[in-house]
Amino acid sequence: MPYQNLLGLLAIMILVFAIMMLSHRRPKSCIPLYAAQSLSLALVAGIVAYTRGISGLYISAALIVLIKAIAIPKGMSHIIDKIGVDREVDIPVGIRTSLLICGMLVVLSYYVVQPFIAAFESPLARLLPIAMSVLLIGFFLMVSRRTAIMQLLGLLIMENGIFLTAMSVTYGMPLIVELGIFFDVLIATLIIGLMVFRINSTFDSIDTAHLRSLKG
Amino acid sequence: MMNMILNLLLMPIVTAAICAIAGRRQAMEKINAVGSLFTFLAGMVAVYSVFKNGPISEYNLLYADAISAFMVLLITLIGLAVSIYSIGYMGREADSAVISLKQLRIYYTLLHAFIFTMLLVVVSDNLGVMWIAIEATTLASAFLVGLYNDKQAVEAAWKYIITCTVGITLALLGTILIYTSSVAEFGETSNALNWSFLIESAAKLDPTLVKLAFIFIIVGYGTKAGLVPMHSWLPDAHSQAPTPVSALLSAVLLNSAMYGIIRYHLIATKALGTAFSGNLLMAFGILSIVAASFLILMQKEYKRLLAYSSVEHMGIIALGIGFGGWLGILGAFLHMFNHAIAKSLMFFSAGYLKLGYHTREMAEVKGAMQAMPYVGAMLLLGTFAITGSPPFAMFLSEFSILAAGFQSDHFIAGALFLLSIVAVFCGFLYHIGGMVFGEAPQHVKKLQLETDTTLVLAALLLLSALLGFYVPGPMMQMIQQIAAIMGVGA
Repeated sequence: MPYQNLLGLLAIMILVFAIMMLSHRRPKSCIPLYAAQSLSLALVAGIVAYTRGISGLYISAALIVLIKAIAIPKGMSHIIDKIGVDREVDIPVGIRTSLLICGMLVVLSYYVVQPFIAAFESPLARLLPIAMSVLLIGFFLMVSRRTAIMQLLGLLIMENGIFLTAMSVTYGMPLIVELGIFFDVLIATLIIGLMVFRINSTFDSIDTAHLRSLKG
Repeated sequence: MMNMILNLLLMPIVTAAICAIAGRRQAMEKINAVGSLFTFLAGMVAVYSVFKNGPISEYNLLYADAISAFMVLLITLIGLAVSIYSIGYMGREADSAVISLKQLRIYYTLLHAFIFTMLLVVVSDNLGVMWIAIEATTLASAFLVGLYNDKQAVEAAWKYIITCTVGITLALLGTILIYTSSVAEFGETSNALNWSFLIESAAKLDPTLVKLAFIFIIVGYGTKAGLVPMHSWLPDAHSQAPTPVSALLSAVLLNSAMYGIIRYHLIATKALGTAFSGNLLMAFGILSIVAASFLILMQKEYKRLLAYSSVEHMGIIALGIGFGGWLGILGAFLHMFNHAIAKSLMFFSAGYLKLGYHTREMAEVKGAMQAMPYVGAMLLLGTFAITGSPPFAMFLSEFSILAAGFQSDHFIAGALFLLSIVAVFCGFLYHIGGMVFGEAPQHVKKLQLETDTTLVLAALLLLSALLGFYVPGPMMQMIQQIAAIMGVGA
């Protein structure tokens, strides 16, 4: 398959953007990184569409640009501006520890996923450990950050990881499914965004540490 | 009649759309009741057709066989009960200005949108579309959970949407893996992700990929089904949501997620034999039952008590499917139905405790029988129904699952199951008994139930008792059809 190296490079960029987001305290500085990550993902989809001649994937690539690289980042900036709290309240896991854990997650996903690569026919399956790392980093961001907006960001990174997984093992899902997934992601982001507003107006903060009254 | 499934799906959507633009409260309530009646009737038409003429397939995307039909029956029936109950219950909340007219409109609109998404889950052929529908159930119900908009409701809604969306993301990974294995074998055909196609050709799928996929699916959809240890959102969401929504979450939503797991279990069974997915289901099932029984004993709030009871019953259903065999499948599907009926009854009654006593704490509720005799009696009888005491229907289904366990030589699992349900019985009787008997405090409002609500409660109780004596022929035949799909003869 041509452009293998370019695709590999783009996948690594996606991983690097995820790691960079982990090293920022302010949500606002993560947003351009997320947009850049989504743009790299759109390029991956575009290149696969071109080399494999799958026209449906062009639509996916266009939707990624529209939704994940433009609409969602815009919406998130809007939320942050509106709420006016652009800082992460003390991070339970510090930046340095976070990066260390992140490195371990990358090693772990290589170690776990490597044996399965042979089970896939796709030549892009070697990107699978990278996709898994992105997924795990997104998950780690969700559980280790306390503001609602950073948790949303973690979820979005996870979704990018899933999309890269789909690209690497099957060249993407059937078009109707992919459209549905985009629609769901958009609505989910919208609803979670609205909920961030609600948390802010109810608790005067978007620190989810306040959300601790329900137990047992 | 053509396009039966499409018609069924249109009913709740149209209802939701009309509710969204309705002006007056009475109009909304009427549209809600009529809409859910039409949904129920359209459901019955589809169920009857499947029952008589076998599976229906529409547009290569929608598919209904006996399993779908059973779920459609469950969803539309409970949906009807919930929408009738809502008129009285939410009407009181609106009267006492707990919620505004605008919130009530949002409530009715989302309620029917929520029912639509659950129906879509059980009639979609394409597993990708099923995933989209399950994610959509979370999205449609998140604001229903947070409807009251106070601190606790917002917290519950946030935990609900975040936990379930993460879980569902893992299920998407499972869906992608199944698609990969299908494409590797059959190429990128339009039905490569259709369940009806996959089940025919599952034996050819790569076993490693199917195994991996099932693990992600059971963790992902298991989050939504409330299996331990992915259940953390469940008690919060059930306790903070408006009571009719709690009933809908518990009685139908959890079953819809379980339905997703069952579909994949069948593919995995064809590809790998029963052992792999069956054992995983049993393990999650037993873990859920045992953990829930401890948590039930220690509960302090009645709606959380009912929520943990749902965790227990989902565990029992997973266990029944895991044990397999005719008795296991019969028990599991009857249990889905019986649990939905009895749990709705319990939530509906508990809702009036909330309205009368203004508290969620069990310790502050005393003398329900004295203050509201009808609600008190329903709670007490419902307790016997939900804990599986004879003559109620859940005794039959639990007994059937237990027998399936011993028949398939799972003695330890069977014994743990038996011990847990005894513990749950004691716990429920202790907790509910404490609320029902005794002297009612002075400040308690002695509520008079609406006629509709009274009838709904009575119908649910009656159904729960009747099914304990006698399972109607058509229902039994339907479960036989299900068993045939699952490769088990009656």
